[in-house]
Amino acid sequence: MFEKICACLLRLYPSAFRARYEEEALQLYRDRLRDETGMFQRCRLYFDLLLDALVALPQAWGNTSAVSNAAPLVATAQNIPSFRLLDKQPLRPVPILIGSTFSFAALSAFGLMMRLPSPSRSYSISSRPSPIKSVTKRLNHAAPAVNDDHAATANGSGAAGAPQRQSPTGNASTIPVDSGVRLDDAERGRVIRAVASILVAHYVDPQKAHEASDLLLTREKRGEYGAIVDGPTLAGRLTKDIRASTKDSRVLVQYNRHAIPNSPPVPSAAQREEYRAAMLRQNCTIGKVQVLPNNIGYIKFNFFPDPIVCSPIFHASVRRLNQSDAIIFDLRDNTGGIPDMVADVAAELFDKPVLWYNPRATPNASMLPSAHGSKLANKPVYILTSTRTFSGAEHFTYDLKMLKRATVIGETTRGGHPGAVYHIDDHFWMVVPEVRKPSPYGTLDWQGTGVEPDVKVRAADALAIAEKLAARKLRMAVRSGSSR
Amino acid sequence: MPSAAFQILLSLVGEDLHGYGIMRQVASQTGGRMRLGPGTLYSSIQALLQEKLIEEVDLCEDPKLGHERRRYYRLTSSGRKLARAEAERLADLLRVARAKKILRGEYV
Repeated sequence: MFEKICACLLRLYPSAFRARYEEEALQLYRDRLRDETGMFQRCRLYFDLLLDALVALPQAWGNTSAVSNAAPLVATAQNIPSFRLLDKQPLRPVPILIGSTFSFAALSAFGLMMRLPSPSRSYSISSRPSPIKSVTKRLNHAAPAVNDDHAATANGSGAAGAPQRQSPTGNASTIPVDSGVRLDDAERGRVIRAVASILVAHYVDPQKAHEASDLLLTREKRGEYGAIVDGPTLAGRLTKDIRASTKDSRVLVQYNRHAIPNSPPVPSAAQREEYRAAMLRQNCTIGKVQVLPNNIGYIKFNFFPDPIVCSPIFHASVRRLNQSDAIIFDLRDNTGGIPDMVADVAAELFDKPVLWYNPRATPNASMLPSAHGSKLANKPVYILTSTRTFSGAEHFTYDLKMLKRATVIGETTRGGHPGAVYHIDDHFWMVVPEVRKPSPYGTLDWQGTGVEPDVKVRAADALAIAEKLAARKLRMAVRSGSSR
Repeated sequence: MPSAAFQILLSLVGEDLHGYGIMRQVASQTGGRMRLGPGTLYSSIQALLQEKLIEEVDLCEDPKLGHERRRYYRLTSSGRKLARAEAERLADLLRVARAKKILRGEYV
């Protein structure tokens, strides 16, 4: 046994070394084993063996390297790049396999420690950070668990948390979980009738809703959907037909292979902690905080995350700019977030309570208290927007624009929340654009249309324009102050 | 010069020895403080052979260890010179240490 261990250790040495000294080294082991008996001497022998392997290996490889360095480099004579080999014998398959296994294990362990995405976890191409998705999922009362992209769309990227609407048909029976299971005529008919009913009840344009509803029911009666026997195909076909009829691409019918939960999923303590850790690692998705020339503060928010975790960091970031003379909020890449965080940040810009609109709250307007300790209340505010600015970011932009507290520079925003999510049954759900009501500011909000900027420029130019406008405003303020 | 290599050179000053013999001689001359393992021993031997400070002798039996034929190693003249130079260098160091009075007891 001992000799086998020694032989294994010797395999770590260069092949040239082994070829020449392996037998002698084993002989030396045998000699020591024969002469050194007793508990203490044996323990010392084992200790020596391990220590020797640690100390001698570098020397043995160094000797080999020295020999190969001294050898003439024939391969490079014709200016052909070549690698210098430490060992003359090619690696055998077993060491390659062992090396690969250990490398993979080490990399996986490292990835796990760093909580990096592993190959077994799927992420969307948009590379949206998973914690943000988890928030949008959490907010998304409809919880369409399978298709995250649709979930985000249905929820307006989680900005205001689309309210969950129950099926008008009540708690309908469960359609088989697996899409491979065939839909029968009764199940198909029930889904189509439910979709038609939801359209009539909730679609923004009643006339178009009736037209689309009649179209679906007529086709169903004619048996045009009779050949469709799986959920995804039926959902796709209904979406296509409704969009063709209403000319509205916001309408969506979806099928989830897994049953949609009846109530919003409650995150576990571990999930909350994971979210918290992820947010802190990403500095709560705050892109940049800096002071630009002319003492103009600049802050880039890419999301409005959960205030329970991120409120202190957001407040601290904004207040780093307390000494600035103006502030620019860059929301060009902001895809939404939590309404409470939107309001939290906005509170930093006022020194007295203001009427704050939140379409997801009941009632939809309330007094927003000012934040204590903020010194930005009377300073010019600029918001940069793009066609990517979405949902919660539009909420922030719209309200501050309506309150005449900010100048919006850039492009018209994306147009926010496309509609409410309605359950049809355990597997089918749909998105229907809602009836729009004027906000307390007297205008329709951003939903469906986006927020129009005060200064319409390309998003790429928005920052430069904002800097110029802010600098000019500050200069004018100085002049008017000095002339008094 | 590495300590192990110097000890090996010293162990071969009086006689030719095989690997295990070198190990025992080194342990003896260092009062048991240095026990060369096979890796260290043969790596050092390999390096000393490359530098021609020692040379291999034909296989022969060690009467104390049975009838197995073992490879013996012998100190070369350049190895002897190097060992002497290293010993003198250490002796110089020892003189300096004595002059600085950092040694105690019988060495002072």
